[in-house]
This record gives sequence, structure tokens and C-alpha cells, in this order.
Amino acid sequence: MSDTTTSAALRCIVVTPEETVLECEAEFVVLPLFDGEVGIAPLHSPMIGRLGFGELRIRSEDDTTRYYVDGGFVQVADNLVSVLTNRAIESSKIDGEAAHEQLQEALETRALGEEQMAARNRSQLQARAQLRIANRPR
Amino acid sequence: MANPRELDKRRKSIRNMRRITRTMELIATARFKKAMDRASAATAYTDRITQLVSDLTKAGLEVSHPLLEPREQTESAKLLVLTGNRGFCGGFNGSLLRAGFNRWDELKTQCPHCSAEASGKKGIAGFGYRGIPLEQAFTQFEDKPTFEQVELIANRYLEAYVSGKLDRLDVVYMKFTSIARQSVAVETLLPLGSLDVAEDAQSAAGGGSLYEFLPSPASILEEVVPTSFKVKLFKCFLDSAVSEQVARMVAMKAATENAGELIKQLSMQYNRARQGRITSELMDLIGGVEALK
Repeated sequence: MSDTTTSAALRCIVVTPEETVLECEAEFVVLPLFDGEVGIAPLHSPMIGRLGFGELRIRSEDDTTRYYVDGGFVQVADNLVSVLTNRAIESSKIDGEAAHEQLQEALETRALGEEQMAARNRSQLQARAQLRIANRPR
Repeated sequence: MANPRELDKRRKSIRNMRRITRTMELIATARFKKAMDRASAATAYTDRITQLVSDLTKAGLEVSHPLLEPREQTESAKLLVLTGNRGFCGGFNGSLLRAGFNRWDELKTQCPHCSAEASGKKGIAGFGYRGIPLEQAFTQFEDKPTFEQVELIANRYLEAYVSGKLDRLDVVYMKFTSIARQSVAVETLLPLGSLDVAEDAQSAAGGGSLYEFLPSPASILEEVVPTSFKVKLFKCFLDSAVSEQVARMVAMKAATENAGELIKQLSMQYNRARQGRITSELMDLIGGVEALK
């Protein structure tokens, strides 16, 4: 293998249906998968994964960019991490109070049937993930 | 001979109108550029989803999902017509409504339960005039539809489809192919039929896949299908918004040009009338002088 591939940095692209939110070089990327976080370092093996609600962290040379992502998919191949998500919001802009309200509402509503249960669970997970990010000590 | 003052008045009012149409053209041009940027930004997402699906199929996965398969019997169908909130855009709303009514009549003969929904004031008015009841009407979509707004509607459809209350969804919208070309499109979005797959995928199927799937390809597919439906619907809204601005731009450009021509014509008439009046007054004077001699 040539030297260029071993030293190549990771490229990270975050797209939502509306726009390309972010396109940057990174040293290390942490993704919120559906069942926990996964770290992607350069030369990661090709992977397709389902995202959950949580925080996407992109570490480049001296700082870390944090985004809240709202489900979606990730595809990793050839040092390229493409994140497809419905929403990507900078972590600092997450509204903790709104998330708290959403959580309360989700906890209080009664769900009948599988569909509604699933919807309630989704809403809870979403709100909890946002709260976690909003309440993280800075 | 026409009255010069009246002609001048008409000319002035046409000048005013030309000013308005020219401004509207400029506004439409600016909005069109913005809408266009949004629409092209959205293609980044659709391209990647397509890529993802073709990689999934490379894994030798049978693409099957309840949203993809047509129902044996379509009991209830829904028609969604995307029009503009405003007029002054040439045949945009008219041709959309015409296509919508045609499809509506077709659906009526095919399915026992039909319902219609429309977006845009013009569409709502058109359906009202025809006496077709609308189940839902949206006016919140202007030239910048957001994914969040569209997702709400898409989720409602998905829920209805999965629970069996809806068997078919048709969307009438203006498809944007290029600045010079937009056409009315009637598409069946539910059932989805097939997912867009990059062309080389079919031949490579069964060749084994490089990818590691978290969790399984099937479970990822389960998520991809509804997402691609949402994105498709979103694309319809975006296309519609872009096409509306283009249509307005073209219509207003034509109106401005037409006004210019009218002004030219009226100016000529006005000048001739004025000259005629002066001549006849002179003739009067000369006639009076001659009579005094």
C-alpha cells in the first residue's frame, strides 16, 4: 500500500435533505449509532450503519466540532464518512427546555397499540438525547 | 379622433403597470436563485441515499418492504396537488389544476374511496370551485419549504399507509428539468414501486459486499425506505417552488415587454392625435382670417 493512504486524513460530510451542513477534514469521528457510539479513525473498514439520536463529534487537529443528529444513516468507505440525517444542529444551539417539555409530554401521553408505543419511544429517546447534550457541563 | 388627454392617461397607467411587473420579475428572479440553490443542495442527500441503496443491494439483499409493494386492491386513494399561493405566474396554477382534475376523475373511477389534498391558495380555490371537498389544505408553503414541514405531512401519509387506511398516494406537481423546461408531473409516491438504484448495482449483485452492516442490511433497509419516501415528497415540494418562481419570472418578463409595446403604440396614437388637433385649430384660425378679409 502506498504511503498516501496511510497518512490520509478522514473526510467527514454531513448532509440533511435541505443542505450540506458540514464538509471537513477530521482526525477522528464519533458517531451515535442506534445502540451506542462508535468511533471512526482513518482507514476504518467500510461500514453502513443506522444512526440514533445523539451527538456527533468530529475531532480535528485542535478542536472538536459537536453536532446533534436526529437519526439517519452513516456510510464509511475510503476514508470518507458520510452522515445522512434529517436534522443536524450544532450542540450549543440545542434548546434544553424544549427537549425537557417534549420528554414530559412523551412520558405523560398514553400510547395504545404498537404504532403509538413506537412513536412515544422515539420521542422519548430524541428528547433524552437532546437533554443530555444540553446539560453537558461545559 | 381620440382624445389626446385620455390617451396620455392610459399611457401613464400602463407605465405604472410596467413598473410593477418589472419589479415582480426582479423579485421572482431573486427568489428563483435562492430556491434553485436549495433544490440543488437537496440533491446531495438524494445522491447519497441512492448510493446507499445500491450498496445495500450489492450485499445480495432482496429489496422488499411493505411500502414498495402495490396493494392487491386499492380501496382508498389520495391525491395531493401542489400549487402556488399566488397568481401572476402564467399557466402554472392552471395546468397543475387541469392535470389534477384529470387524475381525480381517473381515481374516482378506480377506487371507491378517494380524498384530495391541496397545497397553495390557488389550488384550494380551484378545488372549491369544482366542488371537490379537500381533506386537508396547506398554505404554509411559500418559496422555501422546509424538510420539517414536509416531514409532518409525509409521516401522516406513512402512518395511514401502514395502518391500511391508504392504499395509494398520487402527487401532482410541476417538475423542474431546467430553467427553460418545466412540466406537469403526476406521480404515484405510495406504493413507492422501486427504489432508485445506481445502474452498476444490478450487475454486481451477489458479488459479495465490502461493507459491514450495523445492525443488519434488512433493518437498515427498513429505515431507508420511509426516508426515501420523505425525501421524494420533499423534492416534489422543492421542484414546485422553483418552477413557480420560473413561471412567474417568464410571465412577468412577457408582461413587461408587452407593456413596453403598448406604450409605444399609445405614444404614437397620442402624438398623432395631438398633431391632428393642432392642425385643425390652425385651420380654424386660417379660415377665420380668410372670412374677415
